Amino acid sequence: MTLELYHNILGPYLNARYILYVNVIAQPSDYLKTLTTFMFFHSFWSPGVDVCSTVCAVEDDISQCASSALNGFKAWSVLSCYQRAKVLLRLVSVLGQHGQCVSELCELCGASCSSSTLIRQLQYYSSWAQLRDTLITNWTPLGVVAVVVSDDCSLYSLMLKVLPALAMGNSVIIVPGLNTAPPALLLAQLFIGAGLPAGALNVLTGSDMSLCAKVAQNPNISHVTYSGNKQDGVMLCKATAGMGVPLSVSPCIGATCPFIIFESADIDSAVDEVIETAFKKKREVHWVLCVQESIVDSVVTRLKLRMAGMKCVALRSDGDRVLVDAAIQEAQQQGATLIQPCSVPPSGAQYPPTVLCGAAPSSPFVVCPAPGPLLPLMTFRTHTEGVTIGNHTPHGQAASIWTEDLTLALETARSLSVGSVWVNSHSVSDPCMPVSGHKDSGTCTDGGQEGLYQFLRLRSSPPPLPRSSPVSMDYSNFGTAACPAIIPDDSDPASAPKPYPQFVGGKACKSVSGCSLAVQSPGGSGVLAYCPDGGKKDVRNAVEAAIKVQPGWMKKSPSARAQSLYSLAKGLEAKRRDIAASINVQTGLSMDEAEKEVELGIARLSDWAAYCDKVQGGALPMPQSGSALSFPEALGVLGVVLPDKNPLLSMVTLLGAAIATGNAVVMVPCQKYPLPALAFIQVLQSSDLPAGLVNIISGGRDQMTVALANHSVIKAIWYWGSAEGCQYLQHTCTSPLKTLRLFCQKDEEGKDEGKDWTQSHPSFMEEMWRNAVQWKSVWIPTA
Amino acid sequence: MAARNPGMKLDLEWVSKVRVNTQAVLKRAQHIQGQKIPKKQWQAAWLLKAVTCIDLTTLAGDDTPSNIHRLCLKAVQPIRYDLLKKMDMHNKGVTTAAVCVYPSRVGEAVITLKAANSSLPVASVATGFPAGQTPLETRLQEVRMAVAHGASEIDIVINRKLALAGQWEAMYDEIHQFREACGDAHMKTILAIGELGTFTNIYKASLVAMMAGSDFIKTSTGKEVVNATYPVAIVMVRAIRDYYLFTGQKVGFKPAGGIRTAQESLLWFTLIKEELGNDWLCPHLFRLGASSLLADIERQVGFQHIQYISIPYFPAYKYVSFNFFFFFYRSTIM
Repeated sequence: MTLELYHNILGPYLNARYILYVNVIAQPSDYLKTLTTFMFFHSFWSPGVDVCSTVCAVEDDISQCASSALNGFKAWSVLSCYQRAKVLLRLVSVLGQHGQCVSELCELCGASCSSSTLIRQLQYYSSWAQLRDTLITNWTPLGVVAVVVSDDCSLYSLMLKVLPALAMGNSVIIVPGLNTAPPALLLAQLFIGAGLPAGALNVLTGSDMSLCAKVAQNPNISHVTYSGNKQDGVMLCKATAGMGVPLSVSPCIGATCPFIIFESADIDSAVDEVIETAFKKKREVHWVLCVQESIVDSVVTRLKLRMAGMKCVALRSDGDRVLVDAAIQEAQQQGATLIQPCSVPPSGAQYPPTVLCGAAPSSPFVVCPAPGPLLPLMTFRTHTEGVTIGNHTPHGQAASIWTEDLTLALETARSLSVGSVWVNSHSVSDPCMPVSGHKDSGTCTDGGQEGLYQFLRLRSSPPPLPRSSPVSMDYSNFGTAACPAIIPDDSDPASAPKPYPQFVGGKACKSVSGCSLAVQSPGGSGVLAYCPDGGKKDVRNAVEAAIKVQPGWMKKSPSARAQSLYSLAKGLEAKRRDIAASINVQTGLSMDEAEKEVELGIARLSDWAAYCDKVQGGALPMPQSGSALSFPEALGVLGVVLPDKNPLLSMVTLLGAAIATGNAVVMVPCQKYPLPALAFIQVLQSSDLPAGLVNIISGGRDQMTVALANHSVIKAIWYWGSAEGCQYLQHTCTSPLKTLRLFCQKDEEGKDEGKDWTQSHPSFMEEMWRNAVQWKSVWIPTA
Repeated sequence: MAARNPGMKLDLEWVSKVRVNTQAVLKRAQHIQGQKIPKKQWQAAWLLKAVTCIDLTTLAGDDTPSNIHRLCLKAVQPIRYDLLKKMDMHNKGVTTAAVCVYPSRVGEAVITLKAANSSLPVASVATGFPAGQTPLETRLQEVRMAVAHGASEIDIVINRKLALAGQWEAMYDEIHQFREACGDAHMKTILAIGELGTFTNIYKASLVAMMAGSDFIKTSTGKEVVNATYPVAIVMVRAIRDYYLFTGQKVGFKPAGGIRTAQESLLWFTLIKEELGNDWLCPHLFRLGASSLLADIERQVGFQHIQYISIPYFPAYKYVSFNFFFFFYRSTIM
């Protein structure tokens, strides 16, 4: 059948509304059943022309889909790696026949994606499917993964989630956006044709993000991953909070990205490329042009010359036009001058390409960019200032830098906190490049081997969160319950419980509030000690100290970091009796067992010291000629709410993972057994770690969780605690986005569940450090 | 003809600041090569335009008066009269831009053209073409003699030794002397890009040649291994643009060597239109140095014309499998 036929059938209906497509769920019988439920019609292309319509899935569809996905997972995950790889490769040849169809459909739906990029993705991930058990031992697929994308997401970003999930042996439910729905349905069909077991890939279409929450609610789903714009991502975070399903977010759409031109750049090429990318009709990111002051005149003259003759760019709607007009007016009031190739049409959804000269990082049109072909231009004086301006936005998606100076290029690439750096190029993407959105641009890594771990879990550890339905909770009231007041019993000064200090900014101190909490002895028979009752202000002080030293710590050579960790291990060895005694009184463990735990802790710290120079990036196998590099980078400041189990061992394990990879850390000892952690402060004090790198603040767990969750600098939180705490964090840590590792522990039975901290398997350590880093890819095209 | 480029003092600081990123230029060239070229009657029009920009060239050891004679007459009547008449272009004076020959053949070309009542300029290569490895004095003398024989355009080659060694001052002086020797004759400077090594060097050589007063810069002699390529052209036209921004002088561009098909000539126009704008799309700022291109253009114009009148335009359907959609379309309306 041909497109001609397609025209014959659909031609008469082009302006009418018709159903071309309905919701498809692959049934176990390999029969594609169509479910016509109630219809929502969406306009896909230019206004007035419907390409096709999709159906909104309802509850029945979701549960049917989820159970079919579960069956699909069973069928797909039992296949051998070779068989899975073969299916992916077979799709490559299927795409060879139908590639034109796929790319034309993408074009029609405004999610353009050439079949060659799809083929590259398939080939890349088929090789990972083939080698999963060889190269990634001890990891196992998650189960059913829901891949959610927003309406404006491209097919490439969608497949960057779907293919690794499939390659690792998961089954996938795609919840596509408007643009990607038809191509996703078509690809699902082609996949089944390539031999994918029924149910391993499912597509559920709907009209808005509420469908995703309903999908996530289904108990068969093990993981939800999202790609698209920020707002929908936040909505999804809030909607899925408390469902007990981990969510990873890549808000790749709508980020502000710097386009930095240094004076040592090939200015002509830089200007040509910025014009090409900034004034496209469909832009995924907002570029901000940053130009070194010494060449700003020649850049502006070239911009004027090269933009002359450009025509108006279509906007998405008349509403966008209003926003653009308002932004321009505001910019002009603030003294910005415009470069426009033609006069502005009085009305209509179009606008000429416009450069706004005289922008500053604080300008409203830079902070909240309008959805049109606008390009703010800022100037900077020195290289360092260029980097500072480039890092000014809350986003950390990507940056393009232009210079012929190799040293400057690499230095700038390292100092920009973004996921991808393109040197003398822009918008280059390939599945082999591991990219984590820095700052507010993501909570997970996509692409490369590093991106695969999003869809895997350790064979030895159970899923971290039990499935639950969200409880209705008042988020503003969480963690505000007052701790019981302590009336010290000073009758006998000799046996009075000892007050412990907390550790903030390298100093042992009391909490800012001055209050203390009583630490109960294991049987609950009496007060063992007093620990400070920390709060928001303590966290603030700790983070302030941490961000001062963390960049310097990260820049230290790996061997210097290793030395510090070795000496920390030595310090622990020197104080082993004290620490063991604190475990003994706190948990009621026998002295022998307590000493064994300390012993393990010393070994663990030495392990982490050795890992310092083993966590490394490398050169990536890009299909184009050039140099692609990947770097693991520290997340920044981590908040850790420590688990009850093995209070000392778990603490040094997490502490080691965090600082070996270059992070600073704010730790909250578990409320139940805080003493070992507080006793560890004396070890920290005698170590040569920079003051402020490690902070220990004791206090009520919920109260401290709230303080960590609401601090905007903390980039990640590792949490062991209650289900409500998990729900609170998932709901709250959305702006800026925090990377969450949540583990729900039952209050009473902390011992037999959860992680086995005594294991020292390489993959156990690997999981730890992978959670503590984010990845950056640098692309330098060369001959 | 428009005002000539008077040249300027050598600005070494400008030359030293030049940076060219090879990969970005290659990408740009690919982008331009991917552009759609005009079709149907528009293509025919562009091809005729291309004809008017051709420097019809013969530079061979076996050039004799008889083939120079044929060349000149072809330059005067480049497209068959009946074809031009069908397009109603027979009285628009479609000729090539010039003929280009060796200095010793200039006299014969001038006589032939005069006999044919044509004012077509005769261009002569000079200065030890193609290698430029003769003493400066003989090179200057060659220019003077070519002008004396009636050449009104001189294609000089630069001294590659100076360019490769970065002796821009010396190169500037030489070209400046050639320019003086040319007198009223227009000077086109051949950079021999195939022998300059890097794009940055090509850019610098272009700038120096323009500062010394070249009216055109030309890619290559046609005798090197690498001749006119699109990436090199992008580098050179960017230098022309840069020079225009700085001085307000428009310098012409002449790709030469290896341009053989009508398709290629259209791409060259696309490139110039994209990079320099419409101002440069005329014979006094853009030339194509070619010998066999004209024959292909003539063939294409003839073919175009026949196709244009005999076959009405019929949109080509793209035949793609769409059974998937068809299936669901059917199943839902049932």
